[in-house]
Amino acid sequence: MMSFDPYGNPTYFVLLFIALLPLMIGLLYGRRSHWYESLISFVFLMLTFGGIKWRTGIALIIYLIYQITLVWLYSRYRQRPDSPNKGWIFVVSVILAIIPLAIVKITPAVHHGASSIIGFLGISYLTFKVVQMIMETRDGTIKEFHPVLFGQFLLFFPTISSGPIDRYRRFVKDYESVPTREKYLELVEKGVRYIFIGFFYKFILAYIFGTVMLPTVEHAALQAHGISWALVGVMYTYSMDLFFDFAGYSLFAVGVSYLMGIETPMNFNQPFKSKNIKDFWNRWHMTLSFWFRDFIYMRLVFFMMKHKIFKSRITTANVAYVINMLIMGFWHGETWYYIVYGLFHGLAMVVNDAWLRFKKKNQAQIPHNKFTEYFAIFLTFNVVCFSFLIFSGFLNQLWFGARP
Amino acid sequence: MSVSKRLFKIFGPIILAAILLLAVLLSPFSFGLNRVSKSTEKTAAVSLSANVLKGRLIKRRALSDNYVPFFGSSEWSRFDPMHPSVLAAKYHRNYRPFLLGARGTQSLTQYFVMQSVKKQLTNKKAVFVISPQWFVPQGTRKDAFGYYYSPLQTTDWLQTEQNTAMDRYAAKRLLQMPSGSSDKVLAGALARVAAGFKPTSVQRAYINYKARVLGSEDEFFSRFGISGKNLNIVQQQTNLLPATYNFNKLDQLAGKIGKQQTTSNSLEISNKFWKTKLKRNYKRLANSQTTLDYTKSPEFADFQLVLNQFAKNNTNVMFIIPPINQRWADYTGLSMKMIAQFDKKIRYQLQSQGFNNICDLSQDGGQDYFMTDTIHLGWRGWLAVDKQVDPFLTKQQKTPTYKISSKFYSKQWQQLDPADLSSYAAK
Repeated sequence: MMSFDPYGNPTYFVLLFIALLPLMIGLLYGRRSHWYESLISFVFLMLTFGGIKWRTGIALIIYLIYQITLVWLYSRYRQRPDSPNKGWIFVVSVILAIIPLAIVKITPAVHHGASSIIGFLGISYLTFKVVQMIMETRDGTIKEFHPVLFGQFLLFFPTISSGPIDRYRRFVKDYESVPTREKYLELVEKGVRYIFIGFFYKFILAYIFGTVMLPTVEHAALQAHGISWALVGVMYTYSMDLFFDFAGYSLFAVGVSYLMGIETPMNFNQPFKSKNIKDFWNRWHMTLSFWFRDFIYMRLVFFMMKHKIFKSRITTANVAYVINMLIMGFWHGETWYYIVYGLFHGLAMVVNDAWLRFKKKNQAQIPHNKFTEYFAIFLTFNVVCFSFLIFSGFLNQLWFGARP
Repeated sequence: MSVSKRLFKIFGPIILAAILLLAVLLSPFSFGLNRVSKSTEKTAAVSLSANVLKGRLIKRRALSDNYVPFFGSSEWSRFDPMHPSVLAAKYHRNYRPFLLGARGTQSLTQYFVMQSVKKQLTNKKAVFVISPQWFVPQGTRKDAFGYYYSPLQTTDWLQTEQNTAMDRYAAKRLLQMPSGSSDKVLAGALARVAAGFKPTSVQRAYINYKARVLGSEDEFFSRFGISGKNLNIVQQQTNLLPATYNFNKLDQLAGKIGKQQTTSNSLEISNKFWKTKLKRNYKRLANSQTTLDYTKSPEFADFQLVLNQFAKNNTNVMFIIPPINQRWADYTGLSMKMIAQFDKKIRYQLQSQGFNNICDLSQDGGQDYFMTDTIHLGWRGWLAVDKQVDPFLTKQQKTPTYKISSKFYSKQWQQLDPADLSSYAAK
């Protein structure tokens, strides 16, 4: 049986377009067929998780049953008219939702890089969606539980492997309605444009940076060992590769969603134009950072304020930044460089806030003009690229890697 | 705007682009792109770029001119004044080497490289450097093979395979490589060839389609990304040579340059290599190679593929067996007895099948400034190569007669202890 990485090659796109055509004609004529959507979802999930990767397909099915059951149980508990809404039940539910992901992430660290048998492509992104569901059920913003809709939300195939991370209520609103013809044509126009910008990003720019340039500069940096100009080259080349590869992928996912009449949120908004680190996280991998903001950072801040752990609001925010970013580091994987990357960004946020406060206080003395703006962009860009060098794991190879 | 007009505005350009792309890729016309300039040939011949090795058009054009294929691996990157490419350019030989190979290219890669230039090899001459270091117990590295793997050469080969022992063995080896089985349809065809069947008609149609597309891609893109760095180096090196060729004078010059460039260590290893690669690992490499064994390896069968192809195309080949830097071997404890055994085994494989042009330098690793580093020829070593390669290429040679035996594909031969060679030969 055929087996694909999502958006991996032209054949995938051709098959995708053929499969989407009837759906698109339907939407154009004001009809949305849920069973046809489910059918092509099933086919494309089979292409992604079937064939030689069938084991990951089994893992996905078991994972789904587990999580849907978990959310269903929690919803039942929460939606009883007399629900006591105990904190510990909520905490246990979240922990249970995270356990499979934790196992998958920790296995390589303790088993010399072996991957866990319960893992599959996209488990992180599904876990984000599940945790979000439990948290919003606790808040009471999600009042009903539809196992089928929830399953559709989790398995929405254009975004299953690496996001963008949609929100349940937003998704369901699109999924259960049909856009007007005018609106749908706009979506198609945008979707097609996104997909083609995605081609340019992923198959041309990311190819040039990642496949053509990166091995050369990495080789030169390894030859020079230690700090070298080549290492600086690795830093920028890797950063460009990372952005164009991931932004390209995200554009595919968003573009295909649009063709299906679902407005999956965008993931990137010109991140290298950011004026500071906070601005950067509002533009880089947006659905992830917003998820972390809403479901970790905000909740940490509320928790710490409610329990009056720190007197100062500033300390509270700073501690929350560092914990928030550290968790993101651990989520990427249990290696020193992901964790340092998280810590680095947590501290960068702290420094950033301190600077903004200082700037506000001394507004009169600190100049603000076009030049300082460009300087801020330049500085942020370099800080970000440096963090990506940490993230790349190349330093690990350079300093601790096996020598020939 | 009407809906259909709007849709046409959205999808029209895509449909047009798709039609144009297919027309260009599948058309038998090359739109004048199959011309290769002399300067591209010149650059490509010494570039050692992976895309030249994996491509087709440039090699075909160059080998149809006065370029001779020099198959090998990492030694080609050791450009000094006595390097074959430098000598041929300086002394206006009637041939120019087309260097094929870089770090990590071994027999199996070279066999597939040959597939794209079979016609250009037929009844011609070639040079082939056999590195003893290829013949390690696990054989060619899968990642290195993958790096040089060319789908174009694979389809070229599949289009001409005739289900001989050679073809079956090559298909089997290719399937063992992750890169070789990356295309599922091709892998299916390979599995049939390996089992002794012809590819199905569907597979054949796919192979032909793929070959057409890959061939067009090669014509469009192979001239890009060829590094001109090495050509500059070669031209600089020619300036260091005297105007007229005199072997003894060149040999003295080679020794002199070698001495100047190996001042940092007692192993007669070039300062550059010593500084960048060896110095920091030097201590822990003492006696690190006592157990290395080059006498039992799947590489012997992979190498048979190369011999078989040469025989099929009636190519007259000069084989070069380079030595190992004696001082280095003494330091790392590499067994010279094992090297002699390897030499015996590979020579048997060559000579018993009629490959008698062998430039065997395996005993010369102790000569001064013969090697540029640990295992790579340099200065006087290159000159020793030239002493045999130049007359071989410039003078009329007797047509060779080859007797290929498929026993060299067997596990038994791959794992044969050279000590048992006489009893094996008697059978």
